[in-house]
Amino acid sequence: MGRILRDIFSFADRPLSERIAFVIFLIIVLAFPWMVKPAYAKVVMIKFLLFAMFGLGWNLIGGYGGQVDLGQAKNVGFGAYATALMMLHWNIPFWLTILPGMMFATAESFAVAYPMFRLRGHYFAIATLCVALVWKELFVFWDWTGGARGVEIPIKATPDFTYMQFGETGYHYFIFGLFMAQFLFMNWFRKSRLGYELMAVRDNEDAAESLGINVTATKVKAYCIAAALGAMGGSFITAYYLYIDPDLVMPMDLSILIAMTVMVGGSGSIWGPIIGAAILIPLDMYLGAWLAGGGRYGIDFMIYSFIIMIIAAREPKGIWGIVERVRKRR
Amino acid sequence: MRRMMGIVFISLALVFTFTCTAWAKEIKIGVILPLSGSLAPTGKSLKEGADLAADIINGKYPDLNISIAQWEGIPSLGGAKIKLVYADHRADPGWGADQAKRLIKDEKVSGLFGCYNSAVTKTASVEAERAGIPFVNPDSTSPALTKRGLTWFWRVTPHETWFTADLFNFLDGLSQGKARGVRAVPKDEIDTLAVAAENTEWGAASLKEIEEFAAKHGYKIVESFKYPHKAADLSSEARRMIASKADCYLFAPYVADAILFIRTLKEMRAAPKLIWGQDSGFIESDFSKTLGAAVNGILTRDLFSAELGKVKPAAAKINTMYKERTGYDFSGSSARDFIGIQVWAHALNSAGSTDPEAIRKALNELYIGPEQLIMPWKGVRFGSPFPGDTQQNELGSGVINQYQGWPDGKLHVVYPFEFSTADLIYPFPGWK
Amino acid sequence: MELAVQLIVFGTLMGLVFAFISLGLSLIFGVMNIVNFAHGEFLMVGMYVALLTSTYLPLDPLVSLPFAGAVGFLLGVLSYRFLIQYILRGPMVAQLFGTFGLMLFLRYLVMFIFGPDVRSLSHGLIVGKSVSLGYVTIDVSKIVGAVLCLMLFAVVYWMINKTRLGRALRATSLDPEAARYMGIDTEKMNALAWGIGGATVGIAGGLLAHFYYITPTIGMVFIMIAFATVALGGFGSISGAFLAGLIIGLIQVVGGQYLSELKFTFIYLTYFLAVVFRPRGLFGW
Repeated sequence: MGRILRDIFSFADRPLSERIAFVIFLIIVLAFPWMVKPAYAKVVMIKFLLFAMFGLGWNLIGGYGGQVDLGQAKNVGFGAYATALMMLHWNIPFWLTILPGMMFATAESFAVAYPMFRLRGHYFAIATLCVALVWKELFVFWDWTGGARGVEIPIKATPDFTYMQFGETGYHYFIFGLFMAQFLFMNWFRKSRLGYELMAVRDNEDAAESLGINVTATKVKAYCIAAALGAMGGSFITAYYLYIDPDLVMPMDLSILIAMTVMVGGSGSIWGPIIGAAILIPLDMYLGAWLAGGGRYGIDFMIYSFIIMIIAAREPKGIWGIVERVRKRR
Repeated sequence: MRRMMGIVFISLALVFTFTCTAWAKEIKIGVILPLSGSLAPTGKSLKEGADLAADIINGKYPDLNISIAQWEGIPSLGGAKIKLVYADHRADPGWGADQAKRLIKDEKVSGLFGCYNSAVTKTASVEAERAGIPFVNPDSTSPALTKRGLTWFWRVTPHETWFTADLFNFLDGLSQGKARGVRAVPKDEIDTLAVAAENTEWGAASLKEIEEFAAKHGYKIVESFKYPHKAADLSSEARRMIASKADCYLFAPYVADAILFIRTLKEMRAAPKLIWGQDSGFIESDFSKTLGAAVNGILTRDLFSAELGKVKPAAAKINTMYKERTGYDFSGSSARDFIGIQVWAHALNSAGSTDPEAIRKALNELYIGPEQLIMPWKGVRFGSPFPGDTQQNELGSGVINQYQGWPDGKLHVVYPFEFSTADLIYPFPGWK
Repeated sequence: MELAVQLIVFGTLMGLVFAFISLGLSLIFGVMNIVNFAHGEFLMVGMYVALLTSTYLPLDPLVSLPFAGAVGFLLGVLSYRFLIQYILRGPMVAQLFGTFGLMLFLRYLVMFIFGPDVRSLSHGLIVGKSVSLGYVTIDVSKIVGAVLCLMLFAVVYWMINKTRLGRALRATSLDPEAARYMGIDTEKMNALAWGIGGATVGIAGGLLAHFYYITPTIGMVFIMIAFATVALGGFGSISGAFLAGLIIGLIQVVGGQYLSELKFTFIYLTYFLAVVFRPRGLFGW
């Protein structure tokens, strides 16, 4: 028991500079609502924390597992819809709706994982894309999930802990709590037996197999856990926007954005998702707000995509790749 | 002594300038529209409509016969000018909500306006409701929006239920001989319908409405389906409609799929008696520009036509101004955004303040007469025209237009019958 | 019976168009194992070339096809030289987001320059003309497209399998290091693959412009179909792309007939089921 707690909270295996940087980061995030006046900055911060959290979950299969999953949005959708439908139709408090969403995502992932992991590389990536798109279309098609009309949650007076509706500050700490929960989970995971097995599989499947690791089972487990983590983020989205539809919570763009933020930050490290989200989310949100509506269409996306291309070209291993490169040179 | 006088003078001048600028201040209204992505052309025309209204309100145009043209800013607020602060929502409801928050809390707008896409209007209006800021919606037509019981949301445009009622009243009228220039058409000649709707929220809602009204009015739907509006190919869908041998083809598409559908039907030499589109794709200027003469005879639900200028002189003049700036006529969408800003101006003027409660009261008691509007509406007044509606404009109405004489032709009004600006072309002339 | 014939004809024609569009993607995959997210945008550029040449030059849009091909070639080579050759170093996902960035960049660059409006070709030898064969009415430009598709596939197939250049390309894809030892300039081969891939999809774009609408965001409509086609056929397989294109064209048409809302679902499910049983696609390696 003590060892598990230690694994969750300890960062002793990372250099001191990283630990200090992380503590500073935590302090900034915690104090953020009081430090900063503009509401938009707080909105950006919430979105950053959300995508950092999505990234952490995706990183489990995509980074530590080395399997490029381009369909994470379906899991987000499962969580979002589970929460939305349960809150709307049966008035179930938010916290009780998270688990069913996660369970559904895990179950569905388990069902598709075995056939999918027979595929490798690009075939696998496109298969994940296809599965997610199929689910999105099904959700548009089914009337009882609201179809294209989506699901709307009635507005409650804030703050409301059943429905988890708050003012901006409340949401900030809410998403921060979820983020920390996933972060600490990932910290434990990377030191766990499954974590090591997964990384072994990523680095060399044949060698891992020869060591007695069941390669497919390991991948499937990781995929299912990543699914559950993604669903949790989906539940948050429902409570935040009070309206969801398949285009909001399950589109291909979301899957790709999640994967991209991790890759920009550096997959396979626990900091990568946070760094990636810290760069891409504010970039997208500020460029979009400042430049759009100015009459010239598309400048904000041009700048955003240009920066992505430069990062891809200059440092394909992501920002964390740069940090590690610099470290190795010393 | 002289230096003292100088200082006093300068101080007085500064104070004077300061109070003047403080007095002639701006009233900011946040406008959230699709300004990028595939709906950008629509967003552009909506913005242009809103901008024109703001300019007319802020300036003086003595030869325009509507009250806002003489105001030069909001009279009851000391001539304060309306400033539109734009945000792009990228057709993403999450983005719309985030931009709404930014406009409300950081830009400190006095109210919100937008968003065209019904899904984005849903989330953005939630933010307005949470913040207690008025949200005026000029152009989203999903009926659900005014059935939520929100108290900070008003919708100016008539919604789908109206338009579908118009369609069936038109069809009934056609069979009763009320259409201008056409003798009564026996009902069994036009009573079978084929309906194709794109499968997002708007298309699905339209389809449902059509099905309900068809049953009520005694029309048979022999084929109906939803299709993905980003489809690469619509040949089987077009084939289905032709194979159903329906008399009338009804569509609820966005621009790109509208163009593709008509093109495909043309290739297949479809020959229905009547083609009708539920606004949106069918009224965008790109639709007629791209299809050219192929649009002749196509009917579309709409809200406006440049031809209305003949019966409403103010409409003609304002349309001319719009055309000078943009190169094309008002569409039903851009005209609605124009009226929406007009509604804002009238509400602010009645409220006499930018306090949200005052504006809310003003909007709830607002009445704008038909002579002020470029639309052939009976006016603007918010109420409950259909069961479940709240704060919905009761006095709006749609028209049905027909493309005639393209590529250099016009969009003529053929319904309401008393507003017709040309003879109806019936049956659909087909494509050579 | 009538229905079946019509569906088969439409499906085959669209299928050949899909195959045509996907050819370049398969080629690029085949030679250097990279997923080009920007493929739809290359198509879009081809369409704009057709639009521009027919608007500003007194040439029939059919004549614009070689231009579209040339521009596509240039675009492919430039993309390789300035972006792709750098991102090849990284893990697969880095390649994904690199080409994803390229996709956004091209799309919004075109939107910035030309505006978001939807346009189309208004005149041309094969624009808007259709021909009736029995009870099937077919658009002439689709027929031309189908013929061009067959021709181009034959040309590329011949080039890859029967020429020295083709052998060099295949060598580069199988084992770049060994190819270099054999004196093959692999950088040039890669750039060439991108060039040829770009050229074929550019021509496809020029053709598509005849019966499709033109707008900066049209890439999005075709990219998933292209991915599914290439993956189903097997990455790197030219004949696979051809067959898969036909299959997907037919599925799309049948889906549109019976359950149009889910027609993409059918395409994705087909891909999924097919690769579950044949993990490398129909003919892939």
